[in-house]
This record gives sequence, structure tokens and C-alpha cells, in this order.
Amino acid sequence: MMEEKIEQLKAQAAEAIQHAAGNLSELDDIRVKFLGKKGEFTSILRGMGALAKEDRPKVGKIVNEAKAQIEALIAEKNEELKARALADKLASEKIDVTLPGRTQPLGHLHPLTLTLERIKDIFFRMGFSVEEGPEIEKDYFNFEALNLPKDHPARDMQDSFYITEDILMRSQTSPVQARTMQKNDPNTPIRMIAPGRVYRRDEYDATHSPMFTQVEGLVIDKGITMADLKGTLELFLHQIFSEDVKIRLRPSFFPFTEPSAEVDISCVMCHGKGCKVCKGTGWLEILGAGMVHPHVLEMSGYDPNVVSGFAFGMGVERIAMLSYGVDDLRLFYDNDMRFLSQF
Amino acid sequence: MQVSIQWLKDYIDFDWTAEELADRFTMAGVPVENVIRADAGLESVVTGRIEKIERHPDSDHLWVCQMNVGKSDLIQIITGAQNVRQGQVVPVAMVGAHLPNGVHIKKGKLRGLPSNGMLCSAGELHLDTSKMTEDQLNGIYILPDDTPVGVPAKDVLGKSDVILEFELTANRGDCFSVLGLVREIAVLTGNAPKWPTIACKEDDDAKAADLVNVGIEADDLCDRFSARVVKNVKIGPSPAWMQERLEGAGIRAINNVVDVTNFVMLELGQPMHAYDYDEITGHQLTARRAAAGENLHTLDDTSRIAKGDELVIADAEHPAGLAGIMGGYETEITEKTTTVVFEAASFYGPSIRRTSRACGLHSEASGRFERGVDVTNTPRALDRACQLLQDMGACMVTQGIVDCYPAPKAPTTIDFTAAQINGRLGTELPGKDMVAILTKLGFEVEDKGSESYHVTVPSWRNDCSRMDDLSEEVARIYGFDNIVSTTPFGRMMQGHQSEKQAFETQVKHILVSLGMTEELSFSFTSNDLFDKLRVPEDSELRRAIPIMNPLTDEAPLVRTCLLTSIMENAVRNFSRKNMDIKLFDVAPVFYPKQLPLTELPDEKLKIVGLITGRRDEASWNQTNDMVDFYDMKGIVEQLLARLSISKYTVEAGEHFALHPGKTALFKKGRETIATVGELHPEAAANFGIKQKVYLFEMDLETLMKYAGKKFHFESLPKYPAIERDLALLVAEDVQAADIEKVIQKNGGKHFTGVTLFDVYTGKNIEADKKSLAFRMTFQSKDRTLTDDEADTAFKNIVAAVEKSFDAELRA
Repeated sequence: MMEEKIEQLKAQAAEAIQHAAGNLSELDDIRVKFLGKKGEFTSILRGMGALAKEDRPKVGKIVNEAKAQIEALIAEKNEELKARALADKLASEKIDVTLPGRTQPLGHLHPLTLTLERIKDIFFRMGFSVEEGPEIEKDYFNFEALNLPKDHPARDMQDSFYITEDILMRSQTSPVQARTMQKNDPNTPIRMIAPGRVYRRDEYDATHSPMFTQVEGLVIDKGITMADLKGTLELFLHQIFSEDVKIRLRPSFFPFTEPSAEVDISCVMCHGKGCKVCKGTGWLEILGAGMVHPHVLEMSGYDPNVVSGFAFGMGVERIAMLSYGVDDLRLFYDNDMRFLSQF
Repeated sequence: MQVSIQWLKDYIDFDWTAEELADRFTMAGVPVENVIRADAGLESVVTGRIEKIERHPDSDHLWVCQMNVGKSDLIQIITGAQNVRQGQVVPVAMVGAHLPNGVHIKKGKLRGLPSNGMLCSAGELHLDTSKMTEDQLNGIYILPDDTPVGVPAKDVLGKSDVILEFELTANRGDCFSVLGLVREIAVLTGNAPKWPTIACKEDDDAKAADLVNVGIEADDLCDRFSARVVKNVKIGPSPAWMQERLEGAGIRAINNVVDVTNFVMLELGQPMHAYDYDEITGHQLTARRAAAGENLHTLDDTSRIAKGDELVIADAEHPAGLAGIMGGYETEITEKTTTVVFEAASFYGPSIRRTSRACGLHSEASGRFERGVDVTNTPRALDRACQLLQDMGACMVTQGIVDCYPAPKAPTTIDFTAAQINGRLGTELPGKDMVAILTKLGFEVEDKGSESYHVTVPSWRNDCSRMDDLSEEVARIYGFDNIVSTTPFGRMMQGHQSEKQAFETQVKHILVSLGMTEELSFSFTSNDLFDKLRVPEDSELRRAIPIMNPLTDEAPLVRTCLLTSIMENAVRNFSRKNMDIKLFDVAPVFYPKQLPLTELPDEKLKIVGLITGRRDEASWNQTNDMVDFYDMKGIVEQLLARLSISKYTVEAGEHFALHPGKTALFKKGRETIATVGELHPEAAANFGIKQKVYLFEMDLETLMKYAGKKFHFESLPKYPAIERDLALLVAEDVQAADIEKVIQKNGGKHFTGVTLFDVYTGKNIEADKKSLAFRMTFQSKDRTLTDDEADTAFKNIVAAVEKSFDAELRA
């Protein structure tokens, strides 16, 4: 009799729990209705006094088991409803992750600055210091101290911007060589680079510019040889381009070096097969170099019988063009935001 | 300098292809710029005989030819040409040929019949048609009947020669001649040259010295002047072989006398000139300086007024030519010439170069004199010229050479040891190898024992005067590639840059982190840009250094101000529809100490910045706000903060390029360290700019002076801070910075900072007032502050502010 009633209640509760579809509060109502202080099972327990004394434990046990079962059902339903509520909430919060992110305004260094920083880093690691000189320079330092007297045919190699007969916008960074030597005590060892702007009277086109950036290098010490020059340039060129770049030196002529060489690398675009960039030769002219002419040493107070040295010069634009695949030099000086912001 | 391979082969044997020879020359320091092949495009063109010809069955103008091209089978080619007959030999382009006119020959069918090639016309082969007959020009180019069949067409078309074009360096005048190049080939190949035999027969009894006088007045500009006289000259064309050589070298044939002088110049490297003897007044030739104002009438029938420093060759009355550059008009060789004076001289290179540049006249001769000629060579050149003309039967040679050579040049000698050269090159070559190289190059070497040597430099090598020059000769022939690389870094050296260089890099990196992009601009400017930027007429900035030879009229000055450059870049960006710009530039400007310059100007590194357009990138989730004055000011403030520059004041100021109400000066004491503002509307209009532009300008060294040398971090507070907010109503023209100063001054010892967090005008505020809200922070380093302490300090601040600014406290 009592058992039947309990079974009925249990079934009613299970039914109610199962259909408590809506929300957690509905489930709570069910819990109160069956298990609360005034709930159905509580009232059964309260009414146990009317039972035979020997039946009480048995009924109590059944009631408690039924309560436990209902509690379990409620807990289970509770979990289910909570999970569903969370899922609904998450679903409602869904966004379009393919929309573009919110960007911060970024600044960019100029590609020539980036290239120059790479060049400087490589030479710093080889113990080179950075030296500087004026951009408006005396003809003496720009030419004469470099073994280029007036009316020397090699002056044709560079058409310069003159300010007066004796002052010009430097056409190369080489005058820093003479300045550095003359600043030093005679025969002081030197290991320097001199990066900077230089000026030549060239029409502005895809490969020429009236202003461009050069890096000059100079090493002077006892016993410096042409083999040292080769080794140093190889180290540098392998680092700035890549280890598999091939290097060749071609005899050439610069008034301030003897012997002089043009330095070529195997074409970085076609790896020496021949392409438009290297004009089919497989080689790219990348810098000029040589052993410092003894006359240049003498003019700046160094003794060629005691020390020797090598010098080299390169165009930063050329290296940047090859590194980044830039095919028109003017892009560097047009300062188009669309170009600059790529670097 | 350009020369044909055939000409070189006249004097030396070698098996290299033109490309190999070019490469060997280049790697030995005699750079070949181009290999020009006359036969380009003729690689697959051969000679073929028409064995059988018949009409195409389906065409009334096509012919079907069975061609013998030297193979076992005949090939069939259809042609539309009407001048072909059986038995003729013609050029045949085989399948695969790429003709000089760009046509690519493929297998094809014409009206159903296969055609395996093409019969070629003169035009299609790019033959020189100027000397062709009408028959040769129209239709297929018909070769002589006895032409061998199946041979490369280039061989029978005179197209087999290859031209080397040299880009000679300024030091190697000796390679400016065929024989000079042959000497190099001899060294590179080891083959013996076949030097020409140079001798002329003096077959006229007259003595040259009786006919003409030569002299040198300007002995600093002319070392030697030699002449020969030839009589009974018959002017006419030179033989075909000579014209061919000249044309290969890019020189037009004129007549036998002129051609001979050019031939000798190319062959021996000695420029020559021929005068019409009868036109030489007084039969006297003198190398002298032109008199200022003298008329110089040259071969090109141009008259120039002499400045007075030009070297001329003058007869008894007038200049008869610009020495070493161009001959005179009056003494030119003409058809009527019967007696000729040949001149071979040695002129001073720098003078020739100066005159040639001043006159804008560059000739084959001037190029050689500029690099220096072999002074011992003049008699040989004269003999060679007479010999060649004599061989043509075009003259008789008078007795002797008239030679003026006042100070014969002693040969240069150099002493060297093998160790010296090895020490320079980093090699370990035995002395005998060096001797072998030098000897082949024409140096006379005397062995002094123990690998030391005494060397006599050949007369043609003006570029060699010291051991170092010999080291280059050894290195270039030994091969730069054979020098084994080493590094000179046994001893440690510390690489470094100056403080200023490091500071410049730091500034650039900070600006980039603040969203600014670096530009690089030319150092030029113009008065037009100064005008546009509103630079006052009396400003020091207008005293910019003028360039003597500017590239364009638009950039005649060296800049004194970076703002003109950055404005140009902004305008260029606007013209390309880049409306959102954040640029900066770090570069020197140039202040002359005097004009015209007598000493080098001051170079000062300036930093300028420019922002305009949208603050954020255009995007669905960004505002479309435009940048304003405070964006630019914030960038400057952050830059200064990162450079540890503090305790500066900011005040309203003036700058010609900036809006008078929107210009801020950052100051340390009286010194301005930064100027920030909005571009003056008038300047904006001058540049055609419609949107607001903000600028800053700073001096790098000034910043560096105030930048914190050493940076120390500040320890984090252990005790909580207390904040108090203050909202004030003040008159519109009260400057926020002044209020902050009062707040700071009255904040007491626990005051740690103030932030302006709101500025409001408009609704609920009187028209001439504004509301400012400050948040103040109080904090102690060693304990927790009480509210009372903060309140006391706050009250002091409020009282001071109310009093100082007639401010009204807002709730």
C-alpha cells in the first residue's frame, strides 16, 4: 500500500523531471514539490507514525532510496540543462571570425636603411668601425688625395655637382678614407666602413639617381694583402646574399688602388644561368675594390713601406635592389607609402 | 675602341672563340663590353642550289624548288619569289633558323605542299644593301654560280667577322691599338705575334726638312712633334681590305690619305694627322698655345674663339688645327691635294682632355692622347703611313723625318723583389714566374740575384712607375682567381659607431615604433619650394648653397630645411591617391658659413615628421577619425620620453610654415627642442593640399644633448596610490599646461602625477568657458597613505588653482 504510493510518486517525479524541458527553475520547482520540506516524500516520512513499528524501517528505507533516485535524476537533468544553456549562450555569441582584425598603425624603416643596417652589422662583427665625413666636400679629399689630380681622365667616370672650383657634393664616400688616415697618427691600423649619401650628375632613371648611398671600406695594417681583400669580401658577400653565391674579381682600374678589381657575384636571380637582370652573363657587378695605392697612403701621412691596405666601395641601392627584387631605383626615392609600408 | 677578330688574327694565331677571347681579355683587365656578331641570325642559313623548279599546281605565283643543301637528300621549299631559276645558288634558311629580321623558320605547308625552309632576300638577311644592284635588291639574293653548296651563308656573305667592343680603363692607353691587344693575346695564349714589317722607301729626292719646318713652343703640352712629307699624292679611295678593317673598327672610310692616318692610329695607337702641304702658310707647323680670341676653324667647319689655353698646331699665320682633337679646315686633304704633311706627335693628356671637354669634341685621337701615347712611336707611325700609301701607288716619299723632340724621355726603371710583390698579393709565386709574365708584357728584367730585379718599363706603359704597378701586372696575368683568400682578422679589433650614429638609429627605431615610416629624400631644394612653404624673404634658410651645375632648374640649391623635402613627398603621395601618410626623415641640412663658399658649410642632422589623413587604417572596425594636432604632439612627447628627455615646457609659438594658432614649441629653458604644428593653410594651398597636415621638426644634436645618458628603471610601488579627481570650469583661453604646473607645484610631497582626462566645451557650459578634468595621484614609497593626507594635499591644490585661474569647481 505504502510502497505502491511511493512507486507512484517516484514515477510522477521521474515523469516531471523528464519533461522539465524549459529551464533550471522549473526543475527546482519539481525538486521542491517532491523533496522539499513540504514535499510529497517529506509528508510520507512525517506520516510514518501511523505505521506499524516494524514496518517503519522498511518504509523509511524505500522512501530514502526513492528520494536518492529522484535527486540523481534531478542532478542529471540539471547537468543536461546547464550544458544546453551554455551551448545556447555560446551559439548566440558566435561571430564571423573571417572579418579582418583590428590593426595597429605600424611604421617602417626605409629599405635602404634596413639594408645599410645589415651591412653595418656584418662589418661590426668583423671589427670594423663606422667613420663619417662631410657630404659637401673639398675637391682635395674627394679627388686629389685619392690620386685623382685635376684633368685626370678617370674623373670622367663621375660627373660631379660642383659648388665652387674646389668644393663639391662628394661623388663617393672614399674621401672619408683620406680624412680618417689624416686624423690618425701615421700608420695607425684602420678597419673602417664609411656609409653615406653621395652625389653624381646622373639623370634620374631606373638605374641612376643624382643622389645615392655608398659604403666605403678601408683596412690598413702591417702585412695586409690582396688575398685578405678577397677573403674579407667573400665573407661579407656570403653573409649579405647567401653562402652559395660565387664571387669573382676582375682586374680593373681605380686611381686610388693598385691592383684594382671589379667584384662580381653569381647572379642571385638566375644563379648564374643568365637572365635579364645579369644581361645573360650570369654575373652581377657588385663592388669595386683594390689594394690602396701607395701614393694615397703617402699623401695622408702613411708609409707604404711599413703598412699596406685594401679598400672597397659598394652601392647600397644595388644590394637592396638585388635583395628585395626591386627593379627600379626610383622607388627608393619616390617614397610612395605603398612601397615603403612593404618593408 | 672596337676591333674585328680578323684584324687581330692578321698578327697572331689563336683558337679561342670570340666569346672566349672576350672573357680572357676581361679577366686580364682589358674589359670587353660587347661581342658583336655580324652573323647574328645567320646560324642556320646555308647556301643551296636549286636543282629543280616547277610551278605550284594550285597557285599561279608560287614555285616548288628542290634544293641541294649539301645533304644526301634534296629538300623541298616553296617560294613566292619570281627571280629564281634552276641551277642558281641562293641563301637557304633551314627549319629552326631565327633570321636577323626576327622571322622564325618552321616546317609548313603552302597550298597543300610541304615547305621545309625559306629562300632569303638581302633584306631578310640584313645585308648591306647600299652597294647592291637593282637585281640583287629585288627578290631572292642570288649568289655567284660557283658558290659552294651547303656551306654557312655567313662565310660567302662576308658576315663571318666578329667585332669586339672594348671598354678600356683610363690607365691602359697601350691597349688602344690592335698591336697592343695582340701583345696581350700573346701573353695570354703564349703564341708568338707576327708583327708587321714597317719600312717605307724614300723614293723622292727632296728633303723633307727643306720642305717643312716643325717646332714646339709649348713644350709643357707637347713632348714630340714629328712629320714626313709625301709628294705626287693621288687622292682616291683606299683598297677594300683597308676599308673593311676601318669599318670593323667603327670608322668611316674617307679617302686613301685620311684612311691611312686612321689605320695607323688603330694599328699602332699613334694618332696622326695629314695636312695639305700647299695650304700651310709658310710651310711651318708649330705646337703652341692659342692666343686668346684667336679663331679656331676646324674640319667640321665650325669656328670657335680660343680662350688661350688650348694647344694648337699653327702655320705661320693661323692655327691649323686643335692639337690632338681635330684638324683645321683650311689645311684639310681634298681631291686637289698633291703634297701631304703627315704629323705624328705626343701631346699632354690633361690639356687635350680639358680642351676636348671645353669644346665638346671627343675624337678617337683625343681619347688616345688623354690616356697617353708612346712617345717613341712617332717615327714608326710616319713610316707606316708612308708605307701604306706607297703600297697603294699613291705617293712618293721625301727624304727623312722632320723631328722635334727637345727632351727625350728616359725609360722608367723599377726595382722590386719577389717578396714585395708576394707581400702585396698574398701569394707565394717564385720570382722567375713574375719575370716570365713581365718579360712577355715587354718589360726588360735584369736579375740582381736573391729574387730581386731591376726592371725597365716599355715605352708604351706610361701607367707603370712603381713596384705596386708591377704587382698588378703579375696579378692580372697570374689570375685574380688563383689568389687564395685569407682574412686579416688575427688581431681583435672592436667594431663601433659613434654616439651620434647610435643615437640617430635609436631615434629612427622609436619613430617607427610610433607608427611613422621613414623616407629618404634628395638634398636639393629650390626657391619655389621656399616660397610655397612661406619661408620669409629675410630668413637664414633662404641662404642655401647654389650648385654650379644643377641637374635641373627645379633643384638648384642644397637644402637648408627638411620640411621642403617631406612636403614634396607628401604631395607626390597625394597625387597617387595615398591620402593617409605618416612620414619622417632624418637627414642633414647645409648652412653656409659664407656665400660663395670658401670653406665647408655646417652640416646639421634634422628630424622632420609629417602626418595627415586617417588615424587608423580604413577598416570595418576602426573609426574614420582624422589625425589632429594632438596625434602629432603625442608622437613628439613619446619620442622625447623614450629618449629620457623630460622637464621641458610646451608653449604656443610661431613658425612660418605653421598655423599661428596651432603651433607648439617644446623648450628646455630658452632652447627649442621641437616644433609641432599644423601646416599653415596658405602653405597648404600653395602645395595644392586640401586636407590638414601636421608637421614636426627637431635638431638631432640638440635632442642628443638633453637625452638621458644612462637609463635607470624606477622600482614598482609597494603601497597603494590614492587618486583624486578635479573638474574645473575655466576661461577658454587658459592653457592646460599652466594649470598642470600649478597642480604640480602645490601637490605636496606625496604628489606623484597628474593626468588631464577630459576637456569639454559646449552644452551646459558658458560660451567662453571650458571644463577640464584632472586626475591626481598621491603615493608614498614607505607606507600606505591615509585619505586624510590625500585630502589635505588635494585641498591645497584646489585652493591654488581656484585662485590662480579664477576657476570654478564643478561637482
